[in-house]
Amino acid sequence: NIDPESLLPKLPSPQELKPFPTTTATIYRGHEGKVRTLSIDPSGVWLATGGDDGTVRIWEILTGREVWKIKLGEDESVNSVKWRPGREAGILAAAAGDDVYLIIPPIFDHETEAAGKEVLSAGWGYAEIVKKDPLKKEPPAKWSKPSDKLADAGVAAIVTVRITVKHIAWHRRGDYFATVSPEGQNRAVAIHQLSKHQSQSPFRKSKGIIQRVEFHPFRPVLFVATQRYIRTYDLTKQELIKTLQPGSRWISSFDVHSGGDNLIVGSYDKRLLWHDLDLSTKPYRTLRYHQKAIRSVKYHQGGLPLFCSASDDGTVQVFHGKVFGDLMENALIVPLKVLRGHVVKQSLGVLDVEWHPKECWLFSAGADGTARLWN
Amino acid sequence: MTSTEDTTMGGTDPQSTHQVQVKFTTRHPDIAVPTAPILVPANLKRYGLSQIINHLLDTSTAIPFEFLVNGSFLRTSIEKYLSDNGLSSESVLTLEYVRAIVPPKFQAAFQHDDWVSSVSVEREKRRILSGSYDGIVRVWNESAQCLYTGSGHTDAVKTAKWISATKFVSAGMDRGLRLWEVDPEPTEENSEISALAEFVGHRSTVEKISVDSSSGRVLSAGVDSRVGLWTTDISEAPKAPKEALVPKAKRRKGSSAGPPRYGALQMFEGHTSPVSGVAFDPKDSTVGYSVSWDHTIRTWDLATHSLVDTRTTQHPLLSVCVLPTLSLLACGSSARHITLHDPRVSASTVTTSTLRGHTNAVVALSPNKDSEWQMVSASHDGTLRIWDVRASESGSIWTIKREGEGLDGKGKVFDVEWSDMGIVSGGEDKRVQIDESPKGE
Ligand SMILES: [Mg+2]
Repeated sequence: NIDPESLLPKLPSPQELKPFPTTTATIYRGHEGKVRTLSIDPSGVWLATGGDDGTVRIWEILTGREVWKIKLGEDESVNSVKWRPGREAGILAAAAGDDVYLIIPPIFDHETEAAGKEVLSAGWGYAEIVKKDPLKKEPPAKWSKPSDKLADAGVAAIVTVRITVKHIAWHRRGDYFATVSPEGQNRAVAIHQLSKHQSQSPFRKSKGIIQRVEFHPFRPVLFVATQRYIRTYDLTKQELIKTLQPGSRWISSFDVHSGGDNLIVGSYDKRLLWHDLDLSTKPYRTLRYHQKAIRSVKYHQGGLPLFCSASDDGTVQVFHGKVFGDLMENALIVPLKVLRGHVVKQSLGVLDVEWHPKECWLFSAGADGTARLWN
Repeated sequence: MTSTEDTTMGGTDPQSTHQVQVKFTTRHPDIAVPTAPILVPANLKRYGLSQIINHLLDTSTAIPFEFLVNGSFLRTSIEKYLSDNGLSSESVLTLEYVRAIVPPKFQAAFQHDDWVSSVSVEREKRRILSGSYDGIVRVWNESAQCLYTGSGHTDAVKTAKWISATKFVSAGMDRGLRLWEVDPEPTEENSEISALAEFVGHRSTVEKISVDSSSGRVLSAGVDSRVGLWTTDISEAPKAPKEALVPKAKRRKGSSAGPPRYGALQMFEGHTSPVSGVAFDPKDSTVGYSVSWDHTIRTWDLATHSLVDTRTTQHPLLSVCVLPTLSLLACGSSARHITLHDPRVSASTVTTSTLRGHTNAVVALSPNKDSEWQMVSASHDGTLRIWDVRASESGSIWTIKREGEGLDGKGKVFDVEWSDMGIVSGGEDKRVQIDESPKGE
């Protein structure tokens, strides 16, 4: 029997695929407890982190300097932080408990801050204008103004979802964002609109325990991951398009390639799956490189052919992943580097990871209480 | 030990008794020897060769020399060099000699309460200016006395430079530049000073500034991707732009309205990522250079307010300094190395040298005014390194570590200046450190 792998052309070596991150450049120290989530701002200058100490912190990325922090939860972890897309305003969404805080961190110039305030306050009057429909069930979230103390600190609005929010995903235009509350059954996914301060649950039935959602990079499509499947929904027609079967027992995370036709999926059963949506609903490649559960997977979104996975084994693994524009060539995947440095704490390793919007710089959030920059 | 020499020295290889023809050259007429090739034992290393030069010069006190062959310092015997490089021992080997550098010694440290982001030395009055993340600028004398404390910035100071013997400019995270003045002779220790003027225009952190003393002009590198050109001559300075006049929400309680505000002569657009370094051309202050995370080196005509040239390198750039007599720009990168560029020459004909050695971002560079080929770099790896650009293949000549005990001696270094008061640096260890300038060239 011929091993089909031996007939394939030789892969390029990592040396030929530089640059990619190889070492730790900066360690962000300050959180007391696990760092659960991070997000780099659209201008690529400020890193936001959130963790078990209930704080959101913002850092100068190269020096590691903490420039701002806010305490959101007394006994609640900050489970997700995500900068709103767009550079005209500086707005950060942060989920702690069942609340999503929409924050304008006081680190921007007056013009940017004013733009943020306008974006976040436009919706206050809207809810009053819309008449209450007695047939409609109660909306999945309530929008409210923050306390004076939180308002002084930069919080502009609070969206209370009523079930712990584990994940936030923004639509690219920055008007809609989705929240995932895995324990919420048919209300696990809610979609919120900034300009109207309104929230909706798009699904009447739940098809499994929702793990994550992401908007398609440019089509009106929503990706929804349960433990076993990823379903794509057409938001305008409000119908299911297809169901992807990564083959894992428990999906933890996924990311959509900027070209819109490929997906990477991370699972608690240590597998990283690459899906080519044009080819099949089953994975194009299954990568088994981690020793423990994968917590987060991300593509570089700024044109570099890189993706990575973060795991409870304490490592971040970096891969070359090139998607070809034509239909002739399938994606080229080459493992590049295992990044070691985070310390495993109580069996948890690296909990979140994200690429810089432009450079081959990688940010990771660790159960060891630190975040790191790798380059 | 403060500093370490990065290579080993020695006299001879014990192996053989062959001889090799060597031609000794130097760029320094005062220590020139005859150019005719001389037969020397092949097993000689640096020390033995240095003795030969001293003998030829008939020096009364021995001068230690270093030898350069093909852009590298000779670190082995001649014999080993020839065999390592596949060269015949029949050929004539040309060795360029330079005065060897003596190790820099730690001299002094000035303790701060927070990270020191910036240092600047004023040679006439022998004063050191420091900028700190606590938002305060301080002026020190050589005896570690703080002569002046300047409050006013509402956020971290990231850069501060002397523009004359009594005036300096600072800037940082509050996005404005401030102009300050001190007395030629201080009347008391630790006087408090306030800024004479504030200059606004940047929309994000000002990372670095560079000054031209003769014109009183300042270039600024902004995280907003723009380069600012400013004048400290208040009579010439434009009014502050309207939107900047809205007071910043976060003002320290009890503070006054602040100094009069002015705008920029020009904000240069073009970079597509944060600008990390700027410099005036030392021979023509109407020419400015900037480097950025966007990988480019840009040359600006400051008189016509236009972009003259864009040079694209392979990596994000974090620092720049001019090597004036060589017409070279040295650029530090997040890729942990330093590259040398000639901005006048068309990019296609240039081979750039790469100086490797640092293990983290290179964020500040300063030339040795007493030796055109030497400069010092500061890095997030916690060290300063001294380089000789003639020996780019050799790596750094000396590494200077942090003297303070905190941070395992590895605190990031943020700025350095090679001055005649010594090599002055500052960093995460909350200290200004002064190391004696190494002698030699
Ligand atoms: Mg395809």
